[in-house]
Amino acid sequence: MIDKKKYILSFVLTAAIFATAFFASNFFSDKRIEVVKSIQDNIAIDILSSETQFDLLKEVSCSTVDASILAPQLEDLGSKLARTENDGTADPAQILYLKKYYSLLQIKDFLLSKQLAQKCTSKKPVSIIYFYSNKGDCSDCVKEGYVLTKLKSLYPDLRVYSFDYNLPVSAIDSMKTIYKIHSTLPALVIEDKPYFGYKSVEDLENLLPDTLKAATTTAKLEASSTKAVLPKVQ
Amino acid sequence: MFPFLFFTMYFQTFLMMSFLEKRKKIKHEENRQIEMYPSVTIAIPCWNEEKTVAATIKSLLALEYPQDKLKIIVVDDGSKDNTYAIAEKFQTEHPAMIRVFKKENGGKHTAMNLALEHTDTELFGCLDADSFVKPVALKVIVSYFNHDKEVMAVTPCIHIRSPKTLVQRVQAVEYLMGTFLRKAYGELDAIQVTPGPFSIFKKEVFDKIGPYKKAHNTEDFEITLRMHKHHMKIMNSHKATVYTVGPATFRGFLRQHLRWARGFLENAIDYRFMFFKKEYGNFGMFTLPGALVFVAYGIYVAFFLLYHTIYSVVAYISRLQTVGIDMPHFRFDLFYVQTGVMSFITMVLFTAFLFVLYIGRELSDDKQQIYKNFPIFMVLFPILVPIYLTRAVFDTIFSRKNEWVLQDTKQTSVRH
Repeated sequence: MIDKKKYILSFVLTAAIFATAFFASNFFSDKRIEVVKSIQDNIAIDILSSETQFDLLKEVSCSTVDASILAPQLEDLGSKLARTENDGTADPAQILYLKKYYSLLQIKDFLLSKQLAQKCTSKKPVSIIYFYSNKGDCSDCVKEGYVLTKLKSLYPDLRVYSFDYNLPVSAIDSMKTIYKIHSTLPALVIEDKPYFGYKSVEDLENLLPDTLKAATTTAKLEASSTKAVLPKVQ
Repeated sequence: MFPFLFFTMYFQTFLMMSFLEKRKKIKHEENRQIEMYPSVTIAIPCWNEEKTVAATIKSLLALEYPQDKLKIIVVDDGSKDNTYAIAEKFQTEHPAMIRVFKKENGGKHTAMNLALEHTDTELFGCLDADSFVKPVALKVIVSYFNHDKEVMAVTPCIHIRSPKTLVQRVQAVEYLMGTFLRKAYGELDAIQVTPGPFSIFKKEVFDKIGPYKKAHNTEDFEITLRMHKHHMKIMNSHKATVYTVGPATFRGFLRQHLRWARGFLENAIDYRFMFFKKEYGNFGMFTLPGALVFVAYGIYVAFFLLYHTIYSVVAYISRLQTVGIDMPHFRFDLFYVQTGVMSFITMVLFTAFLFVLYIGRELSDDKQQIYKNFPIFMVLFPILVPIYLTRAVFDTIFSRKNEWVLQDTKQTSVRH
């Protein structure tokens, strides 16, 4: 005999479990968005603070300013934003808003780094501007992403600013105009000069200024010599 | 993916509810005393089983059951080895109890039907020649016939005998899962199959609905369909423990499971009129459609996994070619924990699956150390299932002669 109630009750229970899963997923997705927003707000404050600090120190020597005034959380934010976007659970409109905000923060940070470079040539931060597209029309963009991640791990002082070529942000359009970026992607800007098409780690290393390589080598040597003189803990 | 996940969840919920609401009755079954001992014939169909047939017969001789009520019929289905001689020796030692027949090879169903022709007992059952029963198994099964006159067949609880190879360890968990499923289906009067190792029937079942049929090499599934068609009640005895030898190789496993899957599909087509028909109870409304959805689900998962595996491998190779081997930097951050709907549902389903295994272990008399086999099962089973399911569907659709089935010379047919 068929127990209709059991069939219906099982359906209701299953639907309830699914509803709970949807609710929980949305809840955590909202939390994730909140985290990203909070990081963005922190970065905005950091940048504003750095700009103010920079203005205050305009008249003083370069020795009182260093590269640490640049937003340190920018990379973490980029990674978290990408994760939130790939997760597919957040509202696309919200993601678009966050991406625009993130792009603007990157531009602000880039401008700050340029100011720092102008003031203190000895502490000149080296940056790469990277234009990509995830519309499916840039087959080499994924590979270029691997290359830039690798490069960042080789040169921790290197600042990489990634911009979605198709993102409707007027500031990005201005960047594209300034650096004469056209739709041949991936596109990179190093030392104000644009490069188009895929570039390997070696290609990019050749394009990077020697100061960055020298700074990295010195930092590594200093780290190893510090380790060597540290007493052994018994 | 969501419709499949919803169905899987519905399926689990339904079975779990059915089981839990009957748990007291199930517990009570375990303490029932046997009131009368009906006469029983156990048939052992053999085909080149010289290595195991002696142990199978011995396990039947060791049954805790009145000897004058128990008969054993060994049918040698055209073996080319010493099976007949070994069985004949037992006949000489126990002439009143054991009879041995030899015939031309015709398949398991013909061997069973020959045994049926020589059966004059109230109950009839089969024990594959690579299976072995625990001494109390028959007594426990008979208690079901004693206590419910409507019961026409009782299936046992099957375990893999001494799982050694990787694939046998996979089967050990698979059969443990089957312990729960058989019991839950039994409580719904919707058992999917009366497996070859030690399913016991009232002899009148065959008198009423006819003998075994070839049925696409899955005579055990077909007889179950026919019994449900005639509204005959089938129960499961979770304490009637039977051990069977599982295929030791991946090839053997795939052959056996392909035969079962193909047999299910072919017989399901033959009995398609039973699908979604209320008159066939939960079997028509739940078991049959559920099994078909799982075939579709298995194939979907196969292609889903295949696509993602290829995608990941291609991405990894591309990364390798681009930047070489790069040591990953592990940094735990709660932000990156998967919290999508799919993750939650998968987590719930996985917990339910663990619960199923736990119940299976609690139900059965064989307390396996499941933690040893579980990781192997989790890795290999999701790979193996889509392979034979996809092949079975492909072969059924294109009605190809199946090489694997033809090569599956082991005529045993164990199912859950």
